[in-house]
Amino acid sequence: MSFTIPIGPYHPSLEEPFKLEVTCQGEVVQDAIMHVKFNFRGVEWLAQRRNYSQAIVLAERICGICSNLHTLTFCRAVEQLAGLSVPTRAEYIRVIIAELERLTSHALWAGIAAEIIGFQTMFMTCFSVRERLMDVLEIISGNRVHYAMNCIGGVNREISNPDAVLDIVKWTRQQIENKLIPIFTTDRTIRARCIGIGVLTKEEAIKWGVVGPTARASGISVDIRRSDPYAAYDQLEFKVPVETSGDVFSRVVVRLLEMVESCRMIEQAFKQMPPGPIRGPEFVEVPPGETVARSEAPRGEAFYYVASDGSDVPLRVKIRTPSLVNMPVVRLMVLGANLADVPLINASIDPCYSCTSR
Amino acid sequence: MDKGEELLAQLSPGKSWEKRSDGWWLETRDMDVEKMAHLMTEAQARLVTITACEVSKGEFRIIYHWDLEGRMLNMVTMTDKGNISSIATIYPASDWMEREIHDYFAVQFNGRESLPLFLNPEDSPGIFLGYSQDDQKEEKGKER
Repeated sequence: MSFTIPIGPYHPSLEEPFKLEVTCQGEVVQDAIMHVKFNFRGVEWLAQRRNYSQAIVLAERICGICSNLHTLTFCRAVEQLAGLSVPTRAEYIRVIIAELERLTSHALWAGIAAEIIGFQTMFMTCFSVRERLMDVLEIISGNRVHYAMNCIGGVNREISNPDAVLDIVKWTRQQIENKLIPIFTTDRTIRARCIGIGVLTKEEAIKWGVVGPTARASGISVDIRRSDPYAAYDQLEFKVPVETSGDVFSRVVVRLLEMVESCRMIEQAFKQMPPGPIRGPEFVEVPPGETVARSEAPRGEAFYYVASDGSDVPLRVKIRTPSLVNMPVVRLMVLGANLADVPLINASIDPCYSCTSR
Repeated sequence: MDKGEELLAQLSPGKSWEKRSDGWWLETRDMDVEKMAHLMTEAQARLVTITACEVSKGEFRIIYHWDLEGRMLNMVTMTDKGNISSIATIYPASDWMEREIHDYFAVQFNGRESLPLFLNPEDSPGIFLGYSQDDQKEEKGKER
């Protein structure tokens, strides 16, 4: 006899507004339907009723984890429309903030994954790393969540204390290399919970257009920082970690290796960053036209389409977040899985319901 | 002619596309979107998303944004009285994208059932309707 179990909305296994209706035969999952409507805010509608400066503030509030990425991508789209070039120093600062954000996001994800696995000590370890990273962002921007760093034509603030930032980045890298990677990859419980669980094959990942670490864990080397570089990424040397097993463990490994790369990129950016201005003109006219911009968020490619009619209010803003394309494949990952593994499989794509519902 | 240009030529023979800093743009009013989806899928392109713009009442500009080896191919077409063919059976990732557009603008994707993505089943689709680009321009003109 099969039965349906509603996981969510607001379920203790992942405290976010989603609902997964899981149909089981005994303990084995036969089907799953994802519902994501619970946090819908109509951000695109709102953005078409705000001027460009107000739309930046709005875009920042799409997500509480990758807030910087949204403003970065929106500003890049408007800069393209306006034909603005961004000062080189600002491009490096954008990379530093984006990589710090990736580190906080991946540390948060690793902590939550550890908690779902039942490894509370590891959860605390990951969050202690994340806490220091949030301190860095606070040192730079004065804020721990919404950094308000990006503006049209550059960034709002200098990084006035680079040594303090580099010290914490160095400490973070040591924590990742000496604690997180060894424990996550060798602990027997973690391996038992993650290896061979929630597999997404490369063929399925291509078919469903999956992005970010979820795609890279299934053998697809897709990373916008490499394939369509923006900011100062084309000036930096970095690896794009790719795993081929497509299981939860591969997603763990890809994110941990990406954290090391993020630290390397921040260190390089500080070394290479030239002196100079950090933003362009105060007031920018946006001529009529349309454009697209995309950036590599912690969860994968984020995409913005912006159209202008020459006024100070965008004619159309379309936002596609990475979770929107990654979430449908959870159904494929949980088919045939044990019910007890469903929360971890779902969390393994690092879903952001706030981004998805916008 | 490279791979992207070859695809665009196959899709729209005799029509010119525009190469911009943000990728290629091809605008064809009566594009065969199913043929496009087949061609792009065979070329291993990835559908980034679909954008709908309400140009005037009941008229929608639909843009298919594809990634081909790191470059954007933006294919623009129009709905026919609010209808356009679905590509969800050809490219499954478009399922949620089409459902989202149906929620926002009540665009009918033919050949599929558009279940609500963000709305409740009892809600009417088209929550973003009534503020077309023509309406916006008129409103902004009055403010000036």
